Formats: sequence, C-alpha cells, structure tokens
Amino acid sequence: MASEKKSGAGNRREFVRIKIPLAERIASIVIIFAMAGIGVAIAIKGRHFDPNLFAVRTDSLKSTASAVEGKAGTARSTPETKPAAENSVAAKPAAAEEGSVEGDAEGATAAPKPAVKGEPLEISLSGLKPMSATEFYSADNLFEKIDGRAPAYQNYNVVQMRCRSFNVVAAAGSYVDVYEYRFDNPVDAFGMFALERDPKGQPLDFAPDGYSGEMGYFFRQGTVYVQIIASDMKAETIALTKAIAQNRAKELPVDDSGLAGRRKLPAAGMIADSVSFVPENAQGQSAFKDVFQAKYKFEDAELPFFIMVTQPDDAAKAWKSFQDFCARFGKTQSLPDVSGGRIFSGQVFGKWKVVYQREGELGGVFDAADESKAQAFVEKYLRGEIK
Amino acid sequence: MSASNPNESPVSRREFLVRLGVTGALIAGSGLAAKKLWQPKHFVPGFEKGKGLQLRSYAPEISKVLPSLAIAHGTEHEKTIRAAMSALGGMERFIKRGDVVMIKPNVAFDRPPALAATTHPDALRAVAKLCFEAGASKVIVADNPINSPTGCFFKSGLTTVASEMHLDLMYPETNAFAPLSLTGEILKEWTFFNTPFKKATKVIGLAPCKDHNLCHASMTTKNWYGLLGGRRNQFHQHIHSIVSDFALMMKPTLVILDGMNVLMSNGPTGGRLSDVKPMNTIVAGTDMIAVDAYGYSHLLERDIAELTYLHKAHDRQLGNINWKDTLHKEVTV
Repeated sequence: MASEKKSGAGNRREFVRIKIPLAERIASIVIIFAMAGIGVAIAIKGRHFDPNLFAVRTDSLKSTASAVEGKAGTARSTPETKPAAENSVAAKPAAAEEGSVEGDAEGATAAPKPAVKGEPLEISLSGLKPMSATEFYSADNLFEKIDGRAPAYQNYNVVQMRCRSFNVVAAAGSYVDVYEYRFDNPVDAFGMFALERDPKGQPLDFAPDGYSGEMGYFFRQGTVYVQIIASDMKAETIALTKAIAQNRAKELPVDDSGLAGRRKLPAAGMIADSVSFVPENAQGQSAFKDVFQAKYKFEDAELPFFIMVTQPDDAAKAWKSFQDFCARFGKTQSLPDVSGGRIFSGQVFGKWKVVYQREGELGGVFDAADESKAQAFVEKYLRGEIK
Repeated sequence: MSASNPNESPVSRREFLVRLGVTGALIAGSGLAAKKLWQPKHFVPGFEKGKGLQLRSYAPEISKVLPSLAIAHGTEHEKTIRAAMSALGGMERFIKRGDVVMIKPNVAFDRPPALAATTHPDALRAVAKLCFEAGASKVIVADNPINSPTGCFFKSGLTTVASEMHLDLMYPETNAFAPLSLTGEILKEWTFFNTPFKKATKVIGLAPCKDHNLCHASMTTKNWYGLLGGRRNQFHQHIHSIVSDFALMMKPTLVILDGMNVLMSNGPTGGRLSDVKPMNTIVAGTDMIAVDAYGYSHLLERDIAELTYLHKAHDRQLGNINWKDTLHKEVTV
C-alpha cells in the first residue's frame, strides 16, 4: 500500500511508496537479467575479433575517400555483407579533404598510426596549375601510394610523404608530379636518395648531389628527398620540371647535420653518380656505420673511396678492427703516417685496401686492383692535395 | 495509514516515473545496439568461412598442336603483339564472335607510360584491337589500383585508349566488390573486384614486366593482385604465397607479358628512365607461370631459382615453370 502526505510546497500530495508490488519486482528482475544478458552477449561478441566492429575509425579513411577518388570500394575492407566499413566511408563525405589513409585493422594487422598531415605543397610558378590536392602519407600508410616500394623508404625511417600533381598549361595533357619524402634526419634522407640514384643522372648546380634524368629531377635537401617527375619529354614540361626543382631547392630548409662524412668526400675526380651511403656494416665491418663512399678517377684507374666520421676513439677502434680483419683473411702492412693520419694497406681476396685514421675520421680506398695507386690517392687526400 | 515507514526510503511519483523512463531508454538503447551489432551472416575475411563467389575458369581448351606460349621480338607494340598472337594461333583461337572480353591491365600507380610501371597504352590498344577483330562485342578494362583509379588510368594513358576505342573502363566503385572464396595457401575469403566478371566471357591479363621490391618481380601472375579489394597490403608478409594463389584464383583465357620496356630496378614504382631497359619482347600464353618464368629469366635477366612464388605455383601444379618444356614458339617481327 502507498500512503500519501501533504506536500509542504503546495497542494499536491507527495507520493511515497512503502511497498513494491510483486509484478514490479519481477519486472525489475527481468530488466536486470536482460541487461546482464546484453552485457554477456556483447562480451561474447567482443571475444571474436571483428575489425569492422571494433576498429572502425572513420577519420582513418580520409585519404582513401578523397585522394583516392572513386576508390571507396577499395577503402572498404570487407565485402558487401559487411555494412559497417561501407558506412564509415560512404556516409562521411566530409572526410573528403586532404589527408592520409589510415588502415583499419583487418585480420591480425594492427591499425597504422594516424597519418601526419602538413602544409599543402604550394608552388607558384607561371604556367603551372595544380592538378590535384596535396596528398599526405605517413610511414605507416605509404604503401597506399607506392605499395611494395614503401618498405625501402621505411628502412630509412621515412616520416612523411607529400605529393601533388601539376598541369603544364603550355602543353596539353602534360603534367609534373612532385614527391617530397621527409625523413627523420638528413642522413637517412641521403641514404634513400643514394639508394635510388640514377647512374646516368646529370649533376645539378642548384642542389648538392642532386641529379636530373631524362624525365625528372632528384635531390636531397635537409631531411627531404625530392622527386620531380615529368609526364613526358616535351620541352615545356621539362622546363617547368626544372623550374619546380629549383623552387623546391630554394624553399626547403638546408640541413646537412650528420653528413660530415659526405662533405669530406673530395670533389676532384669524383664520379658524380657514384656517391652512396651505407648506414651500417660497410665493408662487412660492424664498426663501420654511416659510411659515405664514392668512386674516383685517379691515374687512369677507378678507385672506390669511403669516409666515416665519428669519435676519435671509435675511429681508432674501427681502424684497428679492420686491420685485424684484413690480416686474418689476407696480409697487411703499416705505412708511414701522413699529415697526422696513420695508414695500413692490406690485400684481401686479391683486392687492395689502403685505410687511414685521423682523429675521428676513418677512410680509405677499397677493392683496388693497384696498391700503389690506392696508396697514392690516400696520401694525397691526407695532404690536402685532393679536395 | 502511517505517513511513512522509516525502514523504507520514500520514492516520489515523479522520481519513480523518471527512473522508469531512464530504465526504459536504457533497455531500448541496448536493444538497438544489439540489433546494430548482430550479424546473422557473419563474414570476416580470413577469420571465418563465408560463402563467397568462386570464379569460373576462362581458360581455353588445351591444344596438342598449337603452342601455349609465344615469344615475339619486335620494336612496336602492335606488330609484336600481333606476331605473338599469330604464333599462338591467332586471337580467334581465344576470342569468339560476341565475346565480352575483360582485359586486366596493371595500373597500380599514377605513373606516365614511359616509366614502365604500368601497362603501356600501346599494348592495351593493340590487344583491344585484336579482340575486336576477332569478333568481341565489348572490351572491358578494369583494375583496382593502389592509387586513385581515375588518376592512375589517366596518367598511364589508358583512359585515352579506352576513350579512343570505346572500351568499357570500369573503376572499382563501392558496389563493384563481392566476397570471393578460395582454398588458397593464404587467400581464403576476400573481397574481390567482381563486377567486370559478371559480364565477361573471356579474360585477358595484360601486364608489364617489372622489378618488385618485395617479391622480386611483378608480371602476369602478380597482376591479378589488382583484383583484390580491402587492405590487401597485409598479404605482403606472405607475398610469395598470395601471388602463387593467384594462379589458383584466376584461370584466364590468355595472359600477355609486355616486355617491350622493362622496369629493371626500383620497382614496382620506378621513377627514372634509367630504371627502364628496352627488351623489345612480348610473351603471350595460356600458362601464366610459364610466361612469367620466361619473363623473369629472359627479360628481367635474373635467376629463376629465387622467384619463390613461381616455384610454389609450379609445385601446386598450377603452371609449369619450365617454359621450355611447354609447346612454345619464338618469332621475330
């Protein structure tokens, strides 16, 4: 039974329940059990990993819905029987803006990290008209743009790639693609740049180590590896491709930190397309890291020469270690010091190595057919006669 | 009646109604959520068996007289492709009057044709022309590129060819996919670019021959990768297995490997003309494994022993890696 009493605030009587009817109690119990049942059902459902239920991140599909125009079908990670992902793309047209793709976790694959967005790639040059919006990709979703090539860039710690296409107004149907791969530091950017170096490339006068091919310009500036690719070899297209390259070389910040070894490689006699970077285990030596090397024309011979810059103690240890290695697999001899540098020569597997160490700098000629030329090159370098 | 019982907390009518409303809303919300989450036909690729479609075979009857592999050397796409097809017995051997032909190019990237990362427009033009000459009523061109389909088809030059020749260019739209079931080594249940196959009576794979950073080479077998939807890159961890599965998945009428200009390095994207080497060769055949075996050894000039996916497919009797053992013919234009 319920009793009633006067409410102090007005004429309405306050309802006070002192007994709960049996039906209500039963209904309450049913509700509680029903809610518990729903909870259990959700828990059971949750034990079966279904990426479309538990990993749908609508923001993660932005670039697939935009940069990859008309590719919504691909963005869907599941067949038509699964509407969840479809909704996440199709129902979110607002996501159609610049941005990168995020992967939903399908199968056992974890969702990639959010894409790094940045400034749109704006290039103001006469005769150039943007053809598309800037696309951004992170290390985790770079495959969305370059597929199987992505791991090579990831090996050098790529951070972001942005790219954009531009129409060449003067040449109908022609366009220029601009790719800017940003790495975590200049050394890694150089490493990837050197890995893809065109052996036939022509040196650029506006970007150190940069080169041009028949259809493109390639160089590293700071932490960015720039690729500018023309759609064809029409004169107008190539001219604008070069202008874009010069623009990017001017606009991108210069940063050569960590590239001391590269700067020490002498320019005289260098075969321009031969510069390369070995991040570790150069010459098969675990102590040889961040090594820069190039080939030189010297006295009618072609000599591979390397330089590594590190702490003096580390350089000394690496030098000694290499000497021991050469002695173990061949023969070595110490040569007279030159300009503060100690030198040894060694013959391993029929090839000569002449290696020096001067303070924190370690370098030398390797795989030379002629010991005397290798020695002469190293001595001239140490004396500053080859710059 | 007493005003209240001190042992029982009083609940006002209003509070009771509020509680009732909140409880009801919770129940209704839970019910809606459960309904939303419930999937009576549960299908998660790679996790549970579904009832996806199974592609039929488009392969021609095996001939004991005509070659199953043709290698043609020449300098022009059309002449060289014609020569290769003639060596196989002519396109009429494969395409009959009224056939709807689906050509699967490799348009994975938005690269210009000269960089050899995609099927060359001249190759598509030549193959489509041969199909029409053989009596095809329609030629469909379809691929699900890595990049934007419109951009890839446009930049590769295939949009122009499709427009010129009135080909039916099919982009991977949202409703173009359907679940596919396969008993592959890796590929079991996956979303598949199915729409072109609803109409096609014949299927031709038309792939460039190119280096690939992950699996050494992308040729006619790997070309079928472009028919998968979803986040297919996860298969990269088992790339040789998945590529060998394509020989099980697809039984095409014909495959044609474009080795006129081969992307020898920095694949699959390339980017420099110096990566491209003119090899002036077209390889056509009914056995994609044999075609690729030739392409790898003679066009990419590499040791066939290292190309795991071809060996896997061969071991599963999905093709013959020993192309010299097949009935083949080599011609020069």
